Amino acid sequence: MASVTLDNVTKAYGDEIAVEDMNLEIRDGEFLTLVGPSGCGKSTTMETIAGLTQPTEGSVYIGGRDVTDLPPKDRGIAMVFQNIALFPHMDVYDNISFGLRLRKYDQEEIEKRVDRAAEIVQLGGMMDRMPEEMSGGQRQRVAIARAIVRQPDVFLMDEPLANLDAELRIHMRTQLQRLHRELDTTIIYVTHDQAQAMTMSDRVAVIDNGHLQQVDPPLTCYNAPDNLFVASFIGSPAMNFFHGAVTDDGFGSEFMNLGFDPEEIGATPGKDATLGIRPEDVYLKRDREEATVPSETIKAHVDVLEPMGDEVFTYLLLEEDVETSAEGRGEGQLLLSLDPQTDIEEGQKVEVVFDRHEAHLFDSASEEAIAHSLA
Amino acid sequence: MSDAEPEHPDLAAQERSEEPELDRGVVEAWAAKMISNPDRAYKSLFYIATIFFLLTTLYPFFWLLMVAITPSGSLNDVGVLTPGGFNPEAFIDIFQLLPFHRFMFNSFLIATVSTVLVLFVASLAGYVFGRLRFRGKTPLLLTVLVVSFFPPAAFFVPLNRLFNRNVDVLRPLLADGSLFNTPFAIVIPVSALYLPLSIFILMTFYAQIPDGLEDAARVEGTTRLGALFRVIVPLSAPGVATAGVLTFITVYNEYFFSSLMTDGRPEMWAPMLEGVLAFRGQYEILFNLMAAASIVAVLPVAILVIVAQEKIVSGLTSGALKE
Repeated sequence: MASVTLDNVTKAYGDEIAVEDMNLEIRDGEFLTLVGPSGCGKSTTMETIAGLTQPTEGSVYIGGRDVTDLPPKDRGIAMVFQNIALFPHMDVYDNISFGLRLRKYDQEEIEKRVDRAAEIVQLGGMMDRMPEEMSGGQRQRVAIARAIVRQPDVFLMDEPLANLDAELRIHMRTQLQRLHRELDTTIIYVTHDQAQAMTMSDRVAVIDNGHLQQVDPPLTCYNAPDNLFVASFIGSPAMNFFHGAVTDDGFGSEFMNLGFDPEEIGATPGKDATLGIRPEDVYLKRDREEATVPSETIKAHVDVLEPMGDEVFTYLLLEEDVETSAEGRGEGQLLLSLDPQTDIEEGQKVEVVFDRHEAHLFDSASEEAIAHSLA
Repeated sequence: MSDAEPEHPDLAAQERSEEPELDRGVVEAWAAKMISNPDRAYKSLFYIATIFFLLTTLYPFFWLLMVAITPSGSLNDVGVLTPGGFNPEAFIDIFQLLPFHRFMFNSFLIATVSTVLVLFVASLAGYVFGRLRFRGKTPLLLTVLVVSFFPPAAFFVPLNRLFNRNVDVLRPLLADGSLFNTPFAIVIPVSALYLPLSIFILMTFYAQIPDGLEDAARVEGTTRLGALFRVIVPLSAPGVATAGVLTFITVYNEYFFSSLMTDGRPEMWAPMLEGVLAFRGQYEILFNLMAAASIVAVLPVAILVIVAQEKIVSGLTSGALKE
């Protein structure tokens, strides 16, 4: 068990900067998830921690020890890979015991540890199978057993569930959480799937474009995103945004106006700002009591309904002639999620309110959050 | 369509299974048969090609055998298909008249040492060229390739002078401090010449092993070198077998350096080639013994190829398909 610290880590491939000046402190025994879109530098960050790639600048500490120049095998880490990476020419037992055999443990100790690891991931009786004879989930469990058998200080998991089917992925998600509780080891987990990040982690590190955006518990990232990127990345479906400016008495934009005292929340009148409202904080007018501080009524009509079973994603157009683009939700569109029992149909005119208590205001220029409640 | 409409004459012609009886020669009739039934033509062509191939490859061996079992007095009576007599003692004489087994051992040793050396160096080079990215990779690879373009004769004179020089450092290892008349005099030049081919074969194979496996091995506790020999090489077994067998056969059959880098005595590490030629005396050439020796000399390679055949075939084809 150990803490992991990244100190001003920069990694460049030629002119391409994958990670820039990353400072990250992962506490002992913590489950931390690195999350971000593809190519944001999260895998590079993990490879730097593992020692599979050398940082261009900066240092990596594991358990207070500077491991920047140590090879992966001497860092006290174990890793589970996205493509599972079992050795195809070895059976399950040989795969799991590979690291122990390299470290010259005695036979008895190896057997004891392999048995224990196999028990934790429920792999009993499969010791002489070859990887190609196993299903995806079984292989993944072998890979996890191979990682835990050495009792490493830190676990690194690089999208370990990405290649599994949806059902298995959700099952393994709970398995991993149980495993973390049982082993109490520091786990660093890389994923682009925010559902995994939200459900499993103690803290989430949101990365975009090689920069750390926010490191906080999942619910903090959700309820109080530090900036526009975190607000748009965390939460599914994504937040509604309205680009406008702070006025003397609130926020104004083409489709949405909101009155508040700018001074009270520290906003400067005249500055460009973006208003963010999560789909789950928008209500039909008749349900307005559900909002803590309901806003004024907004008139709109229903564009598209997407029934998901437990909820219906309802896309509203705030004016008749709003342009809809394939790129995503544009200005003048509003997404809300409704109860599937709601009596609503496409084309219908509706009146909605949103919860001012849950509205976010961001500075458009710096993209930093100004306020997380406009009540 | 009405029933009264007369049938087109072609329809009737198509339904007749046989061609109309025509007065034709044998060849013409045969050709007509082949045209109407192309499968038969393909089949007979296949047999013709196979038989031709087998004849051209196996007949020399057959004839060697005929010569070998002919007593030395009646060598002039050897026919195209028949021996000039029957006396299989030649297969024993070659070991008694000369220590032919020693020549064979020398060749075997030289080929084995070269193969091990080539596989080891080519594995390292193949790893570097196949799996790492660095500046100047392509020019370096081409340079390696260029070495194998040189005719061996171009190297002979400088190498011969080098190997005949007494090197003090080697004195404790080699009797007179020079490499001439040692297996190394053959191993060194042939290994260098046949290395590029093995580097190319192994490079293509090593490049196909997923990065994740190497990363996993390194995280589990190997160095890069350990990952190469514990994971990448075992997974590239067909490629390693192909490179190994090709190198072994080429070195074992090598003529140029084999005939020039020793003085021809078996105790001076002369290879099998010198053994075969040694039956050429001053007054008499013992063709039957040379033939017997040739057949015996082929056996180890033949056995090796039969044993490794499956791996080689899969190695050659998979390398070709995946790249």
